Amino acid sequence: MLKYIVKRIVNYVVMLFVAVSMTYFLASAFMDPRSNYMDRHPHPPIASINHSLDLANINDQTPILVRYFRWLKAIFTRWDWGLAPDQSPVGPAIASRIWTSVELVTLATIIGIVAGVSIGVYTAIRQYKWQDRTLNIIATFFLVIPPAVLGLFVVLIAIAINNGVGTRIFYVTGLSSYQGSNPFLWLLDFLQHIILPTIVMAIPGTVSYHLTQRTYLLDSMNSDYVRTARAKGLTLNQAIRKHALRTSLIPTTVNIAFSITGVFTGAVITETVFAVNGLGRYFVTAINGNDINGSVCIAAFGGVCTLTGALLADILAAWLDPRIRLS
Amino acid sequence: MNMFRKTKPAADAAQTPAVPAASETLASKSTYDPNDKSAPVLEVKDLRVSFASEAGTVRAVRGMNFQLHRGETLGIIGESGSGKSVTSMSIMGLLDSNAKVEGSITYHGEELLTKTDAEMSKIRGKGIAMVFQDPLSALTPVFSIGEQMAEALTIHNPKMSAEDVRKRSIELLTLVGIPNAEERLKSYPHQFSGGMRQRVVIAMAIANDPDVIIADEPTTALDVTIQAQVLDVLKKAQQETGAALIFITHDLGVIAGIADEIIIMYAGRPVEKGSVDDIFYRPVMPYTMGLLGAVPRPDKSKSSRLVPIPGSPTNLVNLPKGCPFAPRCPMAEDKCRTAEPDLLPVVGRDGQVAACYRSGEIVAKNLTFRDVYQVGEGIKSKFDGVPREDRAVVLDVKDLKKTFPLTSGGFLRRKIGVVKAVDDVTLDVREGETVALVGESGSGKSTTLLEIMDLKKPESGSITLFGQKVGEKMSRQTKRDLHSHVQYVFQDPMSSLDPRLPVYDILAEPLKVLHKSKAEINTRIDELMKLVELNPDQVDRFPTQFSGGQRQRIAIARALAVNPQLILLDEPVSALDVSIQAGVINLLEDLQNKLGVAYLFVAHNLSVIRHISSRVAVMYLGRIVELGPTDDIFDHPLHPYTEALLSAMPAPDPQYERTHNRIVLQGELPSPTEKIEGCPFASRCPLRLTLSEEQRRMCDTQPPKLHQWSGEDRQVACHFAAMA
Repeated sequence: MLKYIVKRIVNYVVMLFVAVSMTYFLASAFMDPRSNYMDRHPHPPIASINHSLDLANINDQTPILVRYFRWLKAIFTRWDWGLAPDQSPVGPAIASRIWTSVELVTLATIIGIVAGVSIGVYTAIRQYKWQDRTLNIIATFFLVIPPAVLGLFVVLIAIAINNGVGTRIFYVTGLSSYQGSNPFLWLLDFLQHIILPTIVMAIPGTVSYHLTQRTYLLDSMNSDYVRTARAKGLTLNQAIRKHALRTSLIPTTVNIAFSITGVFTGAVITETVFAVNGLGRYFVTAINGNDINGSVCIAAFGGVCTLTGALLADILAAWLDPRIRLS
Repeated sequence: MNMFRKTKPAADAAQTPAVPAASETLASKSTYDPNDKSAPVLEVKDLRVSFASEAGTVRAVRGMNFQLHRGETLGIIGESGSGKSVTSMSIMGLLDSNAKVEGSITYHGEELLTKTDAEMSKIRGKGIAMVFQDPLSALTPVFSIGEQMAEALTIHNPKMSAEDVRKRSIELLTLVGIPNAEERLKSYPHQFSGGMRQRVVIAMAIANDPDVIIADEPTTALDVTIQAQVLDVLKKAQQETGAALIFITHDLGVIAGIADEIIIMYAGRPVEKGSVDDIFYRPVMPYTMGLLGAVPRPDKSKSSRLVPIPGSPTNLVNLPKGCPFAPRCPMAEDKCRTAEPDLLPVVGRDGQVAACYRSGEIVAKNLTFRDVYQVGEGIKSKFDGVPREDRAVVLDVKDLKKTFPLTSGGFLRRKIGVVKAVDDVTLDVREGETVALVGESGSGKSTTLLEIMDLKKPESGSITLFGQKVGEKMSRQTKRDLHSHVQYVFQDPMSSLDPRLPVYDILAEPLKVLHKSKAEINTRIDELMKLVELNPDQVDRFPTQFSGGQRQRIAIARALAVNPQLILLDEPVSALDVSIQAGVINLLEDLQNKLGVAYLFVAHNLSVIRHISSRVAVMYLGRIVELGPTDDIFDHPLHPYTEALLSAMPAPDPQYERTHNRIVLQGELPSPTEKIEGCPFASRCPLRLTLSEEQRRMCDTQPPKLHQWSGEDRQVACHFAAMA
């Protein structure tokens, strides 16, 4: 097993290197940081523009391979991911936002998975009963609501509650505002901030895991081995819990593992609605601002997340399914 | 001590008058006495099951009755949709929740139908156990065999210690013939073959010494030699536990050897019931006669045409008024079409009951199958009287080899071995004859057909079609010409016909490839439909609107469209019901005689092969082990594998089955990836065991070549064939 994992990791590192290099070339070809300066009226002297671009190693007048090797050298020798066009270092900016994103999405993801899978199992066992139909209707309802609308809707309700009660229970912007040193008050403050974005992000997760898990479980519930288990003397519920559930969790674990990347960079809308400075918003700003180094760095981080997810998916699937483990 | 009577079978009194006559013979005991040794363990009375479906109510079972005593074996026979599986599932209480079950099922006097799932689960696996059809999907893939065995034991004996569970599991697995049972406990289902998995399922079924074992088509998915092993295991398991066995099957051969009593079901009703000898030798109901007449016999040379039962099985949603078999019955009269006959005792027969108005007449006049059904006359063959040597060779295969690379699962997919799917196959087919390829699954029969159909230069060896050597340097035109001479018919007519094309388009497709004009296509399609005995007006229908047998006829018509001289048939009748199968076989025979087309026929069913083929090639692990005229091989097999294969094939004849000494092959087919030095059959060969040390070494080291057998028109690949 260990040998298998090491082999996989080596494979992934090679793949990641190739992918990130490709992204670097693509970004260099399509993004034009020079235009950031040329659009100004009057534009700064050309020499000064070139100087600024050279400092950030994004001057289109330098051959691309030269820039590429400089960029590589900086990463491998100093772990320096370069500068944005405005000369601010990219690495620290992303590092601080990773933590913000982790705070923002972890809870929502976990709630989405646990609630979604549980509801999926609950409804699959009660297929076509009123509980199943009701939850299905609710799920479909949330499935078609765009996240921005859902976010604004939650904000409006929160504000209405705040106004109704007369004190501020929910904060609708940022992730913290407490300045003191009391850990309990800090936690309370954090929860007051995090609860609304968590609700907004947990709902789509719950809905998608609910619907897929329901299908997976229904598939394995009707399989022959569940019937065999019942013929041995297990009740229907025992047979489903013990025999159908485990096989139906295999595809779900693979889904979860692969969703890690999306979790970090896909929260743009929620971040915007709640004015949180996370990775998603950074990514969009980097692309708009012709920030080559910033975009590539985000892509590299996304790649690491995807491959970690893939590795995790492989390990979990092998753990759940002996057919993979033993071959 | 009336401890079993928790619920009074209140339904008895109400139900009995509904089936007055049946109650005399079937339901005469209405009270249950646990001290009475002769009391039935299981009693089914007027069982009726229906399902709601979009087309209407499907009445799957309509009045099933039987009693079962310990140690007895009851066979239930019927075609697909006759209600046999639904009956077994309602005894187990495992039907879908949308099933409506009425009547009464009592186990030791306890009514089962009123029980909840929790109450039933105490009986399932302990009192009544079940073995299912498909062993490949019957075990949970993510749990080891040991865990699944343990579950079967602990669910009913929660206090059993882990050590006892282990011991008992090993004991059970050894009983059903799993070698190294102790080590195998840790294995997972995918590491077992189909036959071995079925043994595990049987071991789990007998784990708690049940009183009743229900086996629903337990050997249908298995190869013949494995089927013989599993049937032996099942009989042994029954002896060990003294349980009553309900054996459900569509295979008359299997049931002849195992059952004491038989119920024949048609359209959800039992139509005849009696001892195994009465049913097989003195059937009364015309449907039973038809079933028996429609099966070819593996142990007897082809004597006459098969007799198909006309029409197709009844639709359970819109049952006709009267006897459901009447539309297909040659003896039906007006009365049959107005009211359904009751299951009545047959006059002059002990314990035999039949649901037929004309049973009295049949018994009195001693009518047999030949009197009831019209035995048709076959068409005389175009090549009748022309000796084989004088006929043109249409297909000549020499030393054909096909291997598949076996790759590692990693990123680079390195080649780690080869699977020899077809290994040195040599055979020829001449015009107007049928050559059959027979063998167990994985023996390379279908791969051989596909290699021929491919029209590409084979990996090694040569394929010659109509004198044209198949190679890479063929022009498109030659290739197209060859394709119009060779056609293919697949096993499953449901998946080989595009469900979204009407029959007209299906049949026109091969003709359009040959650039035929619209008028030509129209006349040809009309001809084809008549040729396969379908109504030409139905060409605008879709394949789903036809029954299985009709669909296979369409597939045959499609193959015939371009006037081929050779048709490759891959298990063309194995997906069809017995009564339908006979019609398709007759059609194939007629077409051959009329058109002079040659068949290369792949099947695993030896009876069908004996009936239809003139020559047979027996394959084992990609090689032909014996080749020759069908009757010679069936009557005097030379190769020990052929002998074992023929001996394993059950015949629909109880007398023969009782006296017949079956050679049960030990072990399983070796994996095709295994590298075998000598004879591939050596590991299972019964003959090898009788040989001297020196001779055995020869088997283990030298692969026998297919060679001529002492001047006869036969070839065999065995060093010691003469000693068999």
